[in-house]
Amino acid sequence: MSQPLLEVSDLRVEFDTYGGTVQAVRGVSFAVEPGKTLAIVGESGCGKSVTVQSIMGLTPMPPGRIRTGSARLRGVEILGRTEIDGRDIRGREIGMIFQDPMSSLNPTMTIGTQIAETLEVHWGWSRKRAFDRAVELLGMARIPEAARRARQYPFEFSGGMLQRAMIAMSIACEPAILVADEPTTALDVTIQAQILDLMGDLQRDTGMAIILITHDLGVVARMADEVAVMYAGQIVEQGSVDDVFYRSAHPYTLGLKAAMPSNEPDAEGKHKLLPIEGSPPDLFHPPVGCAYAARCPHAMRICQDQDPAAFFQSEHHFARCWLHHETAPRVEGLHRGAAARQPEASA
Amino acid sequence: MAETSPTVTLNEPGAFEPLHAEQRAQVLSRPSLSYWQDAWIRLKANRRALGSLYIIIALLLFTVVGPFVWQVDPAAQDLDQISTPPGASRAATLVGPLQPWDGSTLEPDRPGLHLAEPATTQSVRLLWDPWPEAYGYRVYRNIFPVAPGEALGLPMGDTFARDQTRFEDRLDLQPRTYYYTVVALDTYGEELDRQESLEVTPNRVITIDDALARGLIAPADDRQVGDSVRLALHPLGTDYLGRDMLARLMHGARVSLFIGIAAPFLFVLFGVVYGSTAGFLGGHVDQALMRFADFVIALPFLLFMILFKIAFGIGPGESGIMPMVVAMVVLLWPATARLVRGQILQVREEGYVSAARLLGAPTGYLVMRHMIPNTMGVILVTLTFAVPSAIFTEAFLSFIGMGVAPPTPSWGSMCNEGIKTMLTYPHELIFPALLISITVLAFNLLGDGLRDALDARMRSRE
Amino acid sequence: MSDRQPLVVSDRLTKHFDLGRGQRVHAVDGVSLTIHEQEIVGLVGESGSGKSTYGKALIGLHPKTSGTVSYRGETLPQRYTARDFQRWSQKMQMIFQDPYSSLNPRMTVGEIIGEGLRLHSKLPTRQIRDRVGDWLKRVGLEPDHMSRYPHEFSGGQRQRIGVARALILEPEFVVCDEPISALDVSVQAQVVNLLDELMASMGLTLLFIAHDLSMVRYVSDRMAVMYLGALVEIGPAADVFFRPKHPYTDILVKSNPEPDPERERQRASTTITGEIPSPVNIPAGCRFAGRCPHVMDVCRSTTPELLPLADEPTRRVACHLYTQ
Repeated sequence: MSQPLLEVSDLRVEFDTYGGTVQAVRGVSFAVEPGKTLAIVGESGCGKSVTVQSIMGLTPMPPGRIRTGSARLRGVEILGRTEIDGRDIRGREIGMIFQDPMSSLNPTMTIGTQIAETLEVHWGWSRKRAFDRAVELLGMARIPEAARRARQYPFEFSGGMLQRAMIAMSIACEPAILVADEPTTALDVTIQAQILDLMGDLQRDTGMAIILITHDLGVVARMADEVAVMYAGQIVEQGSVDDVFYRSAHPYTLGLKAAMPSNEPDAEGKHKLLPIEGSPPDLFHPPVGCAYAARCPHAMRICQDQDPAAFFQSEHHFARCWLHHETAPRVEGLHRGAAARQPEASA
Repeated sequence: MAETSPTVTLNEPGAFEPLHAEQRAQVLSRPSLSYWQDAWIRLKANRRALGSLYIIIALLLFTVVGPFVWQVDPAAQDLDQISTPPGASRAATLVGPLQPWDGSTLEPDRPGLHLAEPATTQSVRLLWDPWPEAYGYRVYRNIFPVAPGEALGLPMGDTFARDQTRFEDRLDLQPRTYYYTVVALDTYGEELDRQESLEVTPNRVITIDDALARGLIAPADDRQVGDSVRLALHPLGTDYLGRDMLARLMHGARVSLFIGIAAPFLFVLFGVVYGSTAGFLGGHVDQALMRFADFVIALPFLLFMILFKIAFGIGPGESGIMPMVVAMVVLLWPATARLVRGQILQVREEGYVSAARLLGAPTGYLVMRHMIPNTMGVILVTLTFAVPSAIFTEAFLSFIGMGVAPPTPSWGSMCNEGIKTMLTYPHELIFPALLISITVLAFNLLGDGLRDALDARMRSRE
Repeated sequence: MSDRQPLVVSDRLTKHFDLGRGQRVHAVDGVSLTIHEQEIVGLVGESGSGKSTYGKALIGLHPKTSGTVSYRGETLPQRYTARDFQRWSQKMQMIFQDPYSSLNPRMTVGEIIGEGLRLHSKLPTRQIRDRVGDWLKRVGLEPDHMSRYPHEFSGGQRQRIGVARALILEPEFVVCDEPISALDVSVQAQVVNLLDELMASMGLTLLFIAHDLSMVRYVSDRMAVMYLGALVEIGPAADVFFRPKHPYTDILVKSNPEPDPERERQRASTTITGEIPSPVNIPAGCRFAGRCPHVMDVCRSTTPELLPLADEPTRRVACHLYTQ
């Protein structure tokens, strides 16, 4: 495999609040390959959004603070910087779409003008040329009657159309990476399907990488090549989408799957949903050991006291769980790689 | 949890044994705090707001307890100490009653303009030699040194003969430096070029009778002329009528704070009732009520305040406080009413109100138990911001003379009086103005702090 | 289902909102639905379909524009007064969507849960406390959480509190208005299982409103699909989900992402275009005609009735494809 497009290592982010310091991200590392989709999945408050926002320099600092870590785009450090060689990182190298497109659009400007403005600013195009391109981009985002819609204001767009416009805007400068932070959470399933299709098609056409942040395992299954499962500010399992779904190596991943109804047409009668009891830990005082120990049905004594290291199941699939230690008991349903090994010395 | 048990290591025998359920009970780690406790913690963390709160408490003590500690009548005049700045000397010499001056002098052989006897606050007696060209003299008194091209000060009197070369000044003498100038007059009473100046600093004196009357000496003391006494203490000085500034500031604070707190309290209360009625009933009632509120907002405030004052009239002995409170309540409630109505409309759609309706809660219960408590934060913030603006309004109206009637002191009317002597006795303006500024600032900062502390958005989804 | 008695019946229930200037939102337009005793009816639809408004009109939180709702044969009032709510609160309750805004932040958990008892019974405070404590245990919380405030709890715990508040008066019929939409996946199952248990032990009847098809399929006995204020399909949940008849249901199911990469790879690209139209201007004919891949001429002129299928009488579909 060639050099990754974006490589993040050991990112730690904290927030000062009046109640104390929240350790929102606690040592996150991942890499994004060109043309691939990395899905970061986790529950609310697990730090998935903060991770990418701090990479993009979108976290307000203070109260936020990046304690350690690096993020390298094609080998160049981008943490704390807004441009590389005079090229803006945000918007030009990395495009972004958010859950609420309305908040990132200016309500007093037409959609077309806003997209054109990005091109004028980043590429120095003339207004006319940029606007024509904006109409073209809206067409690429499958907005019907793009030329007419480009002259409309954000409030005249529905939620799905706004998200399409945001996508058009974010790919205007042909970024290498598209960051999509819960892009379909506020949308209905039929619209969600349209938007996901659109993102997939655009990725095929442009070869950009996508970092998809979501809480929805269905969306992950549909879109992702690589999956990183986050819990309490850490990546607890990471691997290819098939590894994570079919060879789940972390009890949390297993728990998430068991907590969702599976739509097997053959399975008659209800298989009971198995919820994960309790709630995620308070990140004011993260637990000493494994953050999931308090909710884990297989927790062992060591789990409370020692933060588990990453146990690799295969070259690109790891889980942070003591159950993969050679002396740990076997657990049904949990995938254990043939050569579970522990390349990291110790966390 | 983990801190209490010894750390399990990898090589320990039982490290990989499953945990029992009771070994990993989850606890709610956050302390249980009500909304108000939480708000108080936030407010305490805000140093500016906390400081303001202390200042406001100090002001209230100053107003309520102050007059019991400093028992001086704010209307009593101390004619010996008029417009005395704080910290001035209080020493005075006892003298006998004023004796008419026959022109005699204790220093017979001095040439030029000189004093006939030592200057006192009772009288300054000037003597000078006749000037050949003069047909009369004019005497000026100034409080600034005489300089060429500058005015000579207050003309005290003229004499109309060349040899009438004495002048007695008994006008409102203070123990300070005066500059007397005598100018020669021609036959027509026009001033000639010749003039002569003298710097005089009278000693403060008080007659024995006066001292007895003011209680400075007791009859049994048997004090003699020439003995020294100390005049009454005025820590912040006196005003232009010799009234004690500290006592007036305390009593003025009563008026200012009473209006500043009572009026907002009443109009916020009315606004809450009016606004929550409109918001809860909704529909046409809401429309009608809010149109009337808009009408009241449209009334020109200052004009109506003045009209109210005239309509109520202020009889003898009345202070004019009540008309001002009534006018403020009548004119200022709509802003609160609008705000509360908006809040109620918002709260009305919240899930817990629907849930309570479903449980069969009667209207009054819904409003008192669910809606008002959840708008209390906003109401409190409004109240805190209404207080300084009411204090300021009172001060402004009193300052332009449309507020409380004299002699009732209020900070605004004291500023009004103080501005006349702003250049010579600045303390008469500075003290009330400073108190107004501090009070208004403190209430505003406290309001800011309260708004931050009560803002539920910041903590709703932690 | 037919052996069970009808509990709640809505007959052509309609709820319009006047926007002024002659504009009306047709939020719910003539929905007839029979809910039987101890049955869970799932109601799905996209945002703007009127499913939530239907639930609120059914229970009386919205006055009805027209149509009737009856409970065990007794017609319920068109517009509820506080007295009506008092009377029916022991029969019908509701669990709300947003666990954050549905609990009064100024009241303790004990006060919130005990509110129904305090309003209804003359029970002494001690007994109310005991009952609240019992219910806290029943929904999986601790009795000593009574003196705490809602903001100290997580979303799932708050929703448990909402469940306890709704059920403490032991109603027979509960409208669950998107009770799990705001919760994380791992917590959704907790609440669903809790509802399941309570339903079994109390013999509850539920109207379960949600937009998550998989969850509704899992929870419900029957599933009703709503589009633009009207029911388009209703039938046994598994049948509707796995063998949808109405083109809209079909598309809804096909758009529903499954947590299964293999199946997602086989999924055809979506065929539906456009978005749900505004309920202010309801198109003539079938409401779905504008987006339907099988649209015929008749669809644009005649509104299809919700009729039973010839071969499956337990299922009803409002579509001209199934009428001769």
